[in-house]
Amino acid sequence: MLSLADLQSRVARAMTTGEREPVAARLVGGVHPDKRLDIHLRHYAASLIAVLHDKFAACAWLAGPDLVSDAALAYVHAHPPAQPCIAEYGGDFPQFLASYGRAPTMPYVESFALLEWAVGQVSIAIDLPPLSWSDIARIGSERLIESALSLQPGLRYLRSAWGVDRLMTTYLSGTEPERFVLPESDTFIEVRGARGTVHLARLDGATFTFRRELVSGSSVGAAADRALELDSTFDPGEALRLLAHTGLVTTTTTQANAS
Amino acid sequence: MQVAAATRAKRDASDAPFAGVGLRLPHLAEVAAGAPTAAWLEVHPENFLANPHARELLLEIARRHAVSLHTVGLSVGSVTGVDREHLKRIRQLVDDVDPILVSGHLAWSTHRGVYLNDLLPLPYNEETLRVVASHVHEVQDALGRPYVMENPASYVGFAASTLTETDFLTELVTRTGCQLLCDVSNAFLSAANMGYDAYAYIDAFPAHAIAEIHLGGFTREDDEATPGGEILIDTHAGAIAEPVWDLYAHSLRRFGPRPTLIEWDNDLPAFTRLLAEAERADAVAIAALDRGRSHAVAG
Repeated sequence: MLSLADLQSRVARAMTTGEREPVAARLVGGVHPDKRLDIHLRHYAASLIAVLHDKFAACAWLAGPDLVSDAALAYVHAHPPAQPCIAEYGGDFPQFLASYGRAPTMPYVESFALLEWAVGQVSIAIDLPPLSWSDIARIGSERLIESALSLQPGLRYLRSAWGVDRLMTTYLSGTEPERFVLPESDTFIEVRGARGTVHLARLDGATFTFRRELVSGSSVGAAADRALELDSTFDPGEALRLLAHTGLVTTTTTQANAS
Repeated sequence: MQVAAATRAKRDASDAPFAGVGLRLPHLAEVAAGAPTAAWLEVHPENFLANPHARELLLEIARRHAVSLHTVGLSVGSVTGVDREHLKRIRQLVDDVDPILVSGHLAWSTHRGVYLNDLLPLPYNEETLRVVASHVHEVQDALGRPYVMENPASYVGFAASTLTETDFLTELVTRTGCQLLCDVSNAFLSAANMGYDAYAYIDAFPAHAIAEIHLGGFTREDDEATPGGEILIDTHAGAIAEPVWDLYAHSLRRFGPRPTLIEWDNDLPAFTRLLAEAERADAVAIAALDRGRSHAVAG
């Protein structure tokens, strides 16, 4: 008799690989009970493919539903979920999709899929109460340089070699242009969203770098240095004021404590 | 009854039987905005743990309505153990929502860090009892409340089973003090799929431990395991089938009134359609319980 551990190992392996192992002799149900187990195997793949189709609907629109379905089928076997929260599943599907089948002939697919993932993530975020410019200015310039700033949770920064933001805007608008020219150009995209709304904006390289560095936890001074490396005319003070005036800063953390 | 008391405390429910509905993400904003709703609502916590906007709306709803949490990922049947990080996240949501019940499934769905996105069957024997009882204890200790265990929808069983499902559940209640969720639709479809009598199953169900009843739609498909046969799949993608309503009435006559939930997860209709199913559940319950009382008086 199989132990429970052995039984679950075999069934789990069959589900994640799609290749059924011989547990049939120990099953009960119908004339050929092994085929009843196939119900679970099919559900695993079908339900997760449906999840990925839902999360990457724009990619299916761009690259075709068959490509996304085929890639999703391969993905659910290569990368089974690690968490019961399916909202968290699929974060590395963009890279997987980009290398799957004929997708490599579309070099913009990975950027577009990363952008779609980011759009999905920020649309379920919530805005936190922002700090005003006077709240931030009160810290004093010396301490501010060493401070880290937390920005709104519904912010993502993506750099792409293609203007995929325009393509995404076209998809989200529901329009079907007869012809769309996707320019190959270094593009710095800010994705901002909360409570079901999403806004895409293009930034200049220095502002993008400054904000992305802040999001990754760099101090204001370090983020400004990285931006100035890219553009010596970058004005950190003005960049900070703009962040505050658009309600993007939520907390500041100095080396000594948090405010 | 714990649920009845909590529900009445949050809204003026009558003493009549009352049904709730499963609240899914597409209906969340509508209910949060104040749309008419059922006596109580049930959500899958896994849909809210990584979705801050949905969680915000759920907390708003929970301030006005009785809510229960029906977990789909705790996997008390997994021999590799309960995911403690996930259990912590559930506990946090329990603290925030203050649900009237927290329930889950007699099934397994995780194995060595992989989540299989399904409710998988267990053999019913002493080895499984020890595993499940140990994990139910762990969940109850972590949540600080009884965990309510649901009977599964079955398509396949195991020759290694030495207990019936109802005997297994009865023993689980004895060992852990857990409560039970009797899914009458699961009882109906499992009986049809596995070839036993659904009414006998209900009659053997440990009534004293039942905290909740579920009703959901199923889909008929060709049974590849039995040429010419059909199998009932627990899709929650349609209305409650007529024979399930009959089995529900029988269940209430045997169990007495219990909070009942309408589950509809796929091909989701307008929220008002779910409310209509809940109203029907109330009507069936009133008729069944009146008939039960009449029989008692006549006897």
